Amino acid sequence: MRRVWDIAMKELLQNRRDWLAPLFTLVLPAVFTAFLGLLIPSADEGESRLPLALADADGSPAAVRLVEGLRETPLLRLEPMTASEVDGAVQDQKVAAALIIPEGFGAAVEAGQPAALTFVGVQTSSGAQSVRQAVWSVLSGFNTATLAAKAAAGQVAAETGRPLDDTLLGSARSLVEASLAAPAATVRVTDARGSATLDAGSFDQSSTGSLVNWVFFSLLGVTANTVWERSRGLLRRMTAAGVRGSQIIGGKMLAMVILSFVQQLLLVLLGQFAFGVDYFSSPVALLVTMVSISMLAAAFGLLITSLFRSEQAVIATIIITALLLAALGGAWFPLEITGAGFSRVAHVLPSAWLMDSLHGITLQAWGVGDILRPMAVVWMWVVGLLAIAVWRFRPD
Amino acid sequence: MEGIVVQGLRKQFDPPRGPVAADDLSFDIREGEIFSLLGPNGAGKTTTISMLSCLLRPDVGDARVGGFSVTREPGKVKELIGVVPQDVALYEDLTGRENLLFWGRMYGLKGPRLTQRVDEVLELIGLVDRQKDRLGKYSGGMKRRVNIGAALLHNPRFLYLDEPTVGIDPQSRRSILDGVKDFKAAGVTVLYTTHYMEEAQELSDRIGILDKGKMIALGTKDELVHLVGEHTRIEVTLDREAQSLAAQWRDLPRVLDVSEPEDGRLWLLAEDANTLMPRLFEGARAAGARITEINLAEPNLETVFLHLTGRALRD
Ligand SMILES: Nc1ncnc2c1ncn2[C@@H]1O[C@H](COP(=O)(O)OP(=O)(O)OP(=O)(O)O)[C@@H](O)[C@H]1O
Ligand SMILES: [Mg+2]
Repeated sequence: MRRVWDIAMKELLQNRRDWLAPLFTLVLPAVFTAFLGLLIPSADEGESRLPLALADADGSPAAVRLVEGLRETPLLRLEPMTASEVDGAVQDQKVAAALIIPEGFGAAVEAGQPAALTFVGVQTSSGAQSVRQAVWSVLSGFNTATLAAKAAAGQVAAETGRPLDDTLLGSARSLVEASLAAPAATVRVTDARGSATLDAGSFDQSSTGSLVNWVFFSLLGVTANTVWERSRGLLRRMTAAGVRGSQIIGGKMLAMVILSFVQQLLLVLLGQFAFGVDYFSSPVALLVTMVSISMLAAAFGLLITSLFRSEQAVIATIIITALLLAALGGAWFPLEITGAGFSRVAHVLPSAWLMDSLHGITLQAWGVGDILRPMAVVWMWVVGLLAIAVWRFRPD
Repeated sequence: MEGIVVQGLRKQFDPPRGPVAADDLSFDIREGEIFSLLGPNGAGKTTTISMLSCLLRPDVGDARVGGFSVTREPGKVKELIGVVPQDVALYEDLTGRENLLFWGRMYGLKGPRLTQRVDEVLELIGLVDRQKDRLGKYSGGMKRRVNIGAALLHNPRFLYLDEPTVGIDPQSRRSILDGVKDFKAAGVTVLYTTHYMEEAQELSDRIGILDKGKMIALGTKDELVHLVGEHTRIEVTLDREAQSLAAQWRDLPRVLDVSEPEDGRLWLLAEDANTLMPRLFEGARAAGARITEINLAEPNLETVFLHLTGRALRD
């Protein structure tokens, strides 16, 4: 055990001497966290709303109320224009969809007659469908309110003999709208993962993603060094001194876990205090996840040094593995936006489960119980990779 | 106490067609002596040392080092031996001292004992002043000294040095050779490999000549030279026509060997130098060449190797 520790400390000393190490371990990850965070639009910023061209050719109070309703929908950003401009905006795909309120809409609503609205969806816009649903839901709310107000006013007129005039309709409408604003029953839709990313700020994604993305880069030094040691006969010399292969592997592993853990810790602190990501809802869950990330990275690193004999091959393989695992595992963009099929396939990879755990911890205050399943998958990978690494390891 | 006893070691790389790097080697090294393995490139010196260090498993045979078997008790053997690898195996980005500290720990040293041994070894290899410099800044000779020092930290009873003087300046070589004699004086048994016959001659109590995996001769320097017989070595330098004269002289009676000329220099192994020398001058004059230098010498290990194999030691 003592030699394991001695080898690990030697690795850390060499790592400190290498001026490239802090660049890959800390500077680049921090820069990318900030950069990606600014690049990914956050859900509560205007940019992520879908643009809807709106032409109000009517201008009646009813039309104005409908427009207000649409304006309050968080999903939509209204682009008011005239009916003649709508076609151009749709053709140029400046908007996801368009809605035209024709002249006479207000009068028809007052008279209780069907009023036709024109909805134009842009075929190529992935958002058109969502806009259609949002408009539809606003319309049905509008209809409900109008009908309810009418019914209430009619009831009052019948019971009190008051004339069914605009004043009565107006006060009935205000009552209905007030009670709709504070509904009797509410349904909050929360889907385990969907809502997480819907609420996610940009740094929630980029900070957690950088943990997984950059962890391998902190290991470049140790892995390249191990291959160098093998080619220059240093591992052999350790064997000649009576050091066992398992002790060499243990020392390398320990060094990698320490290095990658320190890197993660600094990135977590940066995320927490500079970017406002909420990491510490459950410190134990966070700790377990971080240790798992380190173990996974170290296992990959060891396997790669066991399989390849040249420094170039090791560095190239580590970088490719890191990028693939990060990209496919959801460290660059949330897997939820890729669709269920892709996400399911990506969950073969341990990185996808690590990202689930990190998102759960930062966005939904997951505790230890919640991360057990994802971590079980990760540790199956760790054990499998380590077994192959130890089996294939040769000091010369 | 028992030294090293080698019994029928054999190693073939990449069988069945690969080179047989050690072919039924049997010899022993006595406690406290300096034993040299002398042989050209590829003779099997490193392979033999690797098997005696338990780094390479022999196909057949075994060896006992200090009474322990290299195949069955490698742990015990490793505690007794210090191995200086042929190529410098150290960390360039650590200082000389840090390197020694690390290797000391690998040999199981710790605490005050470790620092004390590192200080002693730094003194021994003459690098106390430079101990805080990174190894990358050392000269080739200094690196070689640290390379040896790292194998001394645990006070081994047996020290293996695999061509420790390759590619270094005469001064560093001198200090290494003197160092090896000091180890012997301190009671260490030394196994030394080299392809420089001068080194083997100067250092060794006994020498084994290795060629193509086989031990072709073994004994003290005098015993080996006797294998050649009562012969004289005549070194000749010619100003021209060395090639053709060498060919001509090979056919003279009582000339046993003639070396390949190099820059006009060649040597002959002859039974009777006195009668031969006039004929050499005559031959040179007839060929229009002039002998610019001529020396008589006792045969040396180079001659022995040539005599036994028909090839020069360095080719
Ligand atoms: N790992 C290996 N795989 C295959 N062949 C090898 C290996 N190591 C050595 N050999 C072969 O075994 C033979 C002996 O090699 P060895 O290194 O023992 O020679 P040496 O006497 O130490 O030579 P040198 O003076 O060049 O160091 C050579 O033919 C060499 O090519
Ligand atoms: Mg060799």
